[in-house]
Amino acid sequence: MSESLIDVAAPEHAAPQPDEQFDQRRRPSIWSALRRGKGLAGVLLVGAVVALGLLAPLLAPHSPTEQIPGANLVGPSGAHWLGTDEVNRDLLSRTLFGIRTDLVVVFLAVPIGAAIGILVGLVSSWWTFTDVVAQRVFDLVLAFPTLILAIALTAFVGPGLRTVFFVILAVELPVFGRLTRTSVRTVREMPYVEAAHVVGAGSWWQLRRHVLPNSMEPLLVQLAVSMSVAVFIEGAMSFLGLGVRPPAPSLGSLIRDGVRNMYDAPYFAVGPLALVVALVLGLLLVSQALAEARRA
Amino acid sequence: MPDLEVSVSTPVLEVRDLAISFSHPRPAVRSVSVTVDQGEVVALVGESGSGKSMTARAVIGLLPDGAVATGSVRLRGEEVLGLPEAELVKVRGRRVAMVFQEPQTALNPVRTIGWQIGEALRAHGGSRGRAARERAVELLRQVEIPDPEERLGFYPHQLSGGQKQRVVLALALANEPELLLADEPTTALDVTVQAEILALLRRIRDRTGTSILIITHNMGVVAHLADRVVVLRQGEVVEEAETRELFAAPRHAYTRQLLAAVPRLPGPGELVQALPAEPAPDAVPALEYDDVRVHYGSRMRGRVLPAVDGVTLRLERGEVLGLVGESGSGKTTLGRLAAGLVPLAGGRVRVGGEDLAAARGRRRVDLRRRLAFVHQDPEASLDPRFSIGEAIREPLDVHGVGSRQSREQRVLELLDAVRLPASFAGRRPRELSGGQRQRVALARALTLEPQLLIADEPTSALDVSVQAEVLELFADLQRRLGFACVFISHDLAVVNKVADQVAVLRAGKVVESGSAARVFGEPAHDYTRRLLDAVPVPDPTVRDATGPALHPHVAAS
Repeated sequence: MSESLIDVAAPEHAAPQPDEQFDQRRRPSIWSALRRGKGLAGVLLVGAVVALGLLAPLLAPHSPTEQIPGANLVGPSGAHWLGTDEVNRDLLSRTLFGIRTDLVVVFLAVPIGAAIGILVGLVSSWWTFTDVVAQRVFDLVLAFPTLILAIALTAFVGPGLRTVFFVILAVELPVFGRLTRTSVRTVREMPYVEAAHVVGAGSWWQLRRHVLPNSMEPLLVQLAVSMSVAVFIEGAMSFLGLGVRPPAPSLGSLIRDGVRNMYDAPYFAVGPLALVVALVLGLLLVSQALAEARRA
Repeated sequence: MPDLEVSVSTPVLEVRDLAISFSHPRPAVRSVSVTVDQGEVVALVGESGSGKSMTARAVIGLLPDGAVATGSVRLRGEEVLGLPEAELVKVRGRRVAMVFQEPQTALNPVRTIGWQIGEALRAHGGSRGRAARERAVELLRQVEIPDPEERLGFYPHQLSGGQKQRVVLALALANEPELLLADEPTTALDVTVQAEILALLRRIRDRTGTSILIITHNMGVVAHLADRVVVLRQGEVVEEAETRELFAAPRHAYTRQLLAAVPRLPGPGELVQALPAEPAPDAVPALEYDDVRVHYGSRMRGRVLPAVDGVTLRLERGEVLGLVGESGSGKTTLGRLAAGLVPLAGGRVRVGGEDLAAARGRRRVDLRRRLAFVHQDPEASLDPRFSIGEAIREPLDVHGVGSRQSREQRVLELLDAVRLPASFAGRRPRELSGGQRQRVALARALTLEPQLLIADEPTSALDVSVQAEVLELFADLQRRLGFACVFISHDLAVVNKVADQVAVLRAGKVVESGSAARVFGEPAHDYTRRLLDAVPVPDPTVRDATGPALHPHVAAS
């Protein structure tokens, strides 16, 4: 028979209490979901794309903007694995460097937007007045379709990676702000937060020590989802010519070029498309694995 | 009167060597055998995790996914364990019906009572239309709901908790089942309502001859209702006996322990503990409520409900004030008021002579240090991310008391004070049982050596034997450390055990207050007397005098 804890705890109580039915195992951390199955597949996919992007200068046979004489819209071959474009640039090199744009967007713009959104949601939800104001502002931003927002913003600051960055910030901020608020509202009602309040802990203490850490899990899932959405946003904006400016490559602008040359060079967009798929799929798998681990 | 002779040949329910296991290392049910005869009330008793609910669920094939059941469950001799779902549907509701614990969630909030009863009838191809309506009225009458025709059009929220439980009963009875499974049917109800529902269950048995298998942890309920008792522990039957026999002479040590752990109220004429020494009258009380009022709802929307309505109470230093009352009486609000968690609408709350609401800044923080609060639910009152040590240390961290070492030292002292080993400091709340968590919550509350502790139903989420330990620990600490305490509970017997003073609340007003011995021994107010009478006494001989009759077989033996 398993030795019960309460016996250890209170040896003076002779009667054994083995029917304590609690779980003695430590709850596996949510991160362990990324070490198996779906989560692992997602991490590998994302990891592969990230590695390609980071190692672009080593892997790319040419500079992304180098014009190779005599190689106009040639198909995939030993010399040019993905072929070349209409101004004689090596598509493999452009694609590898194009990943870097997306990495900036995914791993910089989204986390920054998320961090600001979380902070705004956390602080504003503590008082009724700021809560109402912040949430209505979020409503307003969310009411705009992303692309309309992107076009409107481009009208002010012009196209470029910076614009993509801002659009993603603007889109993600209210998403995280709202999600944080929902989490916070649930968590702050928990007796353990009240317990901290009763012993005299201030609002900031309660928020930092109890509310935020216990609200993080749904935010983590959302982060992975938002990252995959950001890949789309960059793609769409560059596709429409609102994103990175030529000659700098990005996955979205490469796909646009591919569409333009669809009849002459059908292979053109295959590389960037495959990478977008890998990145988005990988991030979604990660978010799903995290979400499932959270529920378990 | 139904024919009770059939029962001799085939029992309504016969469970043999039932075992249920999950992927979890310990099987939920190891070996349980229970028989229920025609018209008999059998109680399955046990603490949480004893497998009593699982046993009942196995009878109607409602085991959770992944559960594997072996053994045999026979209804009038027919095997039901392992029947395909299509066959089980015919058994559920028609031959065996279930009454759930929480009437709040067992009824669909967006459908009328009439519709829900109609659904139960339709489910088994019963009557429709006018006939169904008549049957529904008849059922409501059977569960003694007044004006049944009118009530058919009501939604669940228009009914009180007790009435809802009656409707749940009516739903269960809709297809005249042979066996009623009642899983803690009165646990969510106030004592006075509980007494009514228990009496009703008994009358239904007498009128219709339905057998009842009642699952409960409350020995009072058992003594009041059951003919026979089956005591479960860790998925095994440890004792089975007729109710009177079991209470008179429990054979198994566990049963004795269970019975001993039940807090009891003093019987009539039994004189109670000596009165505590009168404190000096000029001493500053630990807590003072002075004509306190609290409102719920918004004045702007024109709906203001008084939660606490002109309460004046005084708690001397080192004493325990028990606040008792039924749900909605304002006892919890009064407790939260003392902790400054509820805005005051009128009057004054003074902690150690100082007005909590008026204090600002530094003084407010100092005042807070003298207060501590213990929550009802040990599950939720500890941050799942904090280790036990961190949780206990938090008040010290908040107020920046002492050095790091001295804080750690204090944590160990406190763990020792609540009789937990020092090794628990590194554990997470998840790894602890309910009783252990409540000890930790108590330790955390005592960290800053408060002068006033507010305990809101601190033991109501615990099993009786665990409750007994926690109460004993609490009383011991209270004596040693001498803090004053507001002890809130709906359980009069628990309050009787720990409180020096008692205030009985009803609808936000104090109905009666005084020393515990006086209030419980010689209640002056009608309502107090009603509350005391409604508590099911864990002694079947009391029932013999006043309560419903026993099963004929039992009575004959």
